[in-house]
Amino acid sequence: MVYIKWGFRVIFWTAVIAFLHYTLPQRDIVRITDTYEQRIEPGDNALFWSNADTGDNRQATGRDVFFIQSFLSDEQPMIYRNEDTGWGWPPYFKFDAANLQAQAADAVSNRDGENARWVKVLHYGWRNEFLSIYPNAISVQPVSGPDARIIPWFNIVVLALLAAGYWAIRVRWNRFWARRDEPEGGEWAEKAE
Amino acid sequence: MLALLRLLIVGLIVLTVLYFALSWYFRAERRRRMEADWEAAGRPGTREAYVEAGMEQYQTSLRRKLIWLVYIVPVTSVIVIIYLTNYA
Repeated sequence: MVYIKWGFRVIFWTAVIAFLHYTLPQRDIVRITDTYEQRIEPGDNALFWSNADTGDNRQATGRDVFFIQSFLSDEQPMIYRNEDTGWGWPPYFKFDAANLQAQAADAVSNRDGENARWVKVLHYGWRNEFLSIYPNAISVQPVSGPDARIIPWFNIVVLALLAAGYWAIRVRWNRFWARRDEPEGGEWAEKAE
Repeated sequence: MLALLRLLIVGLIVLTVLYFALSWYFRAERRRRMEADWEAAGRPGTREAYVEAGMEQYQTSLRRKLIWLVYIVPVTSVIVIIYLTNYA
């Protein structure tokens, strides 16, 4: 019984952490090397693609998706997709994929130390080669160099609020059941002095 | 447009449920506190009258109006996010 209980707990919290890790914004410092479009027909990995650009036909099975090719500061390749999230999930309300593609194309540079232009890419999602899924880029901003310091204030605040909310509900939940278990004795009970 | 409509309708339903749940919870909590208060004050008058007077005060209090933040905070944050993502 104990194993089943802990098994469920582990699965539940793993799912919660994975969900947050996928959904919350993250920043990479990269050097953009190219931008391109590619025809995509999502299959088993459809969960990890957006539906369609805002206003486009959502029933169309295949469509062209913007991509941004880059190298991280440790020279590992990283490819981002650049899709509208529109009014759907996750709630980034991104409608400017084409504008972002223009900015990304404008920041292209090669690996020569002098000419390398480093940018901060805000994104959510995961890169996974086995599923062919890509993180979705949200914005691109120039930074001073590959070792620019980034403090994820937004994530700190969101995680703190989530923890506070979880704690507030948990405390009340426990108090509710504790009160259930030991009845107060009704209206006419003497208060213990 | 359909996606926007879906967001508005689902959002309205979820936030309304949250609004009523919170307002019910805070009112119950308040009533419980008024009842304890009545005992602590030495049981003045009838309990019902004492609690009702306290609840009437609560109905017009700022505390109760703050529950409207359930609607205000999400709508404001959506507007802020739209601005930051697309125009900043």
